[in-house]
Amino acid sequence: MDIVSSLAIIALAALIHTSFQLSVSVLTLLSGHSIVAKHSQAKVLRLTSSFVFGVGVMTILLLSFISIIFLNTFNGSTPDIAWAMVCGLLVGVSLAVWLFYYRRQSGTSLWIPRPMANFLNERAKATSHSSEAFSLGLTSVIAELVFIIAPLAVSALVLVQLPAIWQLVGIGLYGVISMLSLVIIWALLGGGHRLSDIQKWRENNKYFMQFAAGAGLLILGFFTYVTEVVGRSIGGL
Amino acid sequence: MGLAIDIVKHDGTRDSESFSREKLHKSIVAACLSVRTPVGQAESIANAVSASVMAWLEDKPEVTSNDLRVVTAKHLHSHHPDAAYMYEQYRITI
Repeated sequence: MDIVSSLAIIALAALIHTSFQLSVSVLTLLSGHSIVAKHSQAKVLRLTSSFVFGVGVMTILLLSFISIIFLNTFNGSTPDIAWAMVCGLLVGVSLAVWLFYYRRQSGTSLWIPRPMANFLNERAKATSHSSEAFSLGLTSVIAELVFIIAPLAVSALVLVQLPAIWQLVGIGLYGVISMLSLVIIWALLGGGHRLSDIQKWRENNKYFMQFAAGAGLLILGFFTYVTEVVGRSIGGL
Repeated sequence: MGLAIDIVKHDGTRDSESFSREKLHKSIVAACLSVRTPVGQAESIANAVSASVMAWLEDKPEVTSNDLRVVTAKHLHSHHPDAAYMYEQYRITI
């Protein structure tokens, strides 16, 4: 696969990642609790910035970790079975997202374990220092691992085939694009937008976001399968 | 101030607890502050809504926490729709 196609796959995977909503939910909760606690606007910004930074760090760490596992396992030449398994994961997660991503009730509750959701809720309320907000960002990425594992895995498989310098570019590209939604919400909150307006937009558009994420995963899985499994087995696309 | 009213938790898995006007007041103030309402206005809205909810509770020996939340949100909506929306969303954001 050429570098442009590889980066395009990574960009699409990151775009799908950014449509997942757990970190955005935690950010809105953190911001709401900070405002209620009567922290200054500067402190609210510090807390939310630390949270966003934590999410970014954990995303890049996870992508690098999975890439290293693939690199050590396959030594740079990924077998077709590995590509097929990751494509299956993409399709499986796509169906799971369509069926289960949001709970069937009002609001933006997600199908993550309730104890984990309650823990994040309580931690968002209790957070008053930047270091806690940073840790909350790290944790919220882990909590959503069941959904983000698919785009991370396909990106990691693509990354390990690239030359070293392009691997860094790919990781950077994934990090930036996967953070887009969070950074936009962070900027809106920092600019003084009402939480209720942001939450209403999220609730009104949640089924579109769910459909887009599922469709994106399905398309990515199909494209990767055709390019890497079918294409190579019939003589190389 | 506590009325002799039991609040039955919505999932039925936790013990019921006595109604606390102070807790209700705090939760309404929090909802108002989260949409950047000035503190004084948030306090007066919370007082008015708490009074309405107390009047609704008067003849009831027990209510569910879910009913209490719905009635509070309904009264809050007439004072501050955005705060009422955030009040409803508190447990259903994640």
